[in-house]
Amino acid sequence: MKHDISLTVNGDTYHLSVEPWRTLNEVLREDLNLTGTKLGCGSGDCGACTVMVDGKSVSSCLTLAVEMDGRQILTVEGLAPSGETLHPIQEAFIEKGAIQCGFCTPGMELSALNLLKTNPSPSDAQIRSAISGNLCRCTGYNKIVDAIAEAGRRIKHPSKARR
Amino acid sequence: MENTDFIAPNDVATVCNQIDRLGEKAHLLAGGTDLMVAINLRRLRPEKLIYLGQCGLDRIEVANQSLVIGATATLKSIIQSEAVKRNAPLLVDACQSIGSPAIRNAATLGGNVCNASPSADGAIALLALDTNVTIVSTRGERSVALKAFFTGPGKTVLEKDELVKEFIIPAATANSKFGWAKIGQRKAEIIGIVCVAVNMTVEGGKCQNVRIALGAVAPTPILATKAAALLEGKVLDAQLIAQAAQTAADEISPIDDIRASAWYRKQMTNELVARILSGE
Repeated sequence: MKHDISLTVNGDTYHLSVEPWRTLNEVLREDLNLTGTKLGCGSGDCGACTVMVDGKSVSSCLTLAVEMDGRQILTVEGLAPSGETLHPIQEAFIEKGAIQCGFCTPGMELSALNLLKTNPSPSDAQIRSAISGNLCRCTGYNKIVDAIAEAGRRIKHPSKARR
Repeated sequence: MENTDFIAPNDVATVCNQIDRLGEKAHLLAGGTDLMVAINLRRLRPEKLIYLGQCGLDRIEVANQSLVIGATATLKSIIQSEAVKRNAPLLVDACQSIGSPAIRNAATLGGNVCNASPSADGAIALLALDTNVTIVSTRGERSVALKAFFTGPGKTVLEKDELVKEFIIPAATANSKFGWAKIGQRKAEIIGIVCVAVNMTVEGGKCQNVRIALGAVAPTPILATKAAALLEGKVLDAQLIAQAAQTAADEISPIDDIRASAWYRKQMTNELVARILSGE
């Protein structure tokens, strides 16, 4: 039996009819065509599926779509809604070379947002802890850590962006 | 998971009625960080999912010198709670060592306990804190000491129609001392090879009400009662600490498994108990 739900994704409200077994990850990718959110391990270990629900990062592969009735969801597509002006986190990831294959990037960026929205000046250790649930097989993490620190500076001092 | 149905009751009474009616067909879904893994890996195909996220069991409050934490309080809300930091800081340390930020934002304390893993960090801390579990069903409420709650790996005293409502934790006092230690293959997102939680009060330099809880060294989280008894009424010194740590290692019978050997678990139990008692 399908369930009717209303959810807001990146500011747009959707009224959907979903089977109870479908995950938020599947509905975002397959029904809403928001394929920025990836599916990796399906067990909460890799972080590639990370999205924000009501302002908190969660694994979309471990979340059922039916749980999302009335909730606010942010995916990587919502970081730069215009599609032109990038979010400071995205700018910093590009500038610092924190992206290689890119598969972990959407999840990394949302985990970064989960940290920076309450702590724009994190220590190295706090950054590493914030992305402890996001695996990257390319970068060796150091450039991602640099990028998140830089993103925090840009969020705190927007005028210094695009140096 | 095709043919699964989903309900999201708005109150505990409806949850109880549904569990009572559905029996073993029902699976309780809270944070989903364990249940959804089993579903995604096709290990489980529940007929009916009862979602607990809307039934109002997520309160955290202090009442009658006890800290009360609802079963569906998330690990993140526990870590951030001033009431928990003040009254059960040991639980904050344990919850902080579970999973990753995204997991802690969703995972609940009730889920951590009710899955009855021998290595459940939250359950090990609650055991050291002398926690009581309030259980509810259509037949009413009952209270069970957490040390009597687990009956084996994945098994508890919960009857088919019962739900854990909340955890009642005696509040820390000015004389409370505690420690948490966990060994795993990495710091985050790891199931402990050995976890140790110690809680006691120290009056005039003497240890009292000592509880040493151990995880991943037995079929359930357990108390090292002989080691704790050695410390009772005594002043800690290097010799006593070494003796208690060795006693804790001697009174467990861990197994060899994919994560570590029984020998290593005994060595690490000794080491971690000694580190905590030494204040390292």
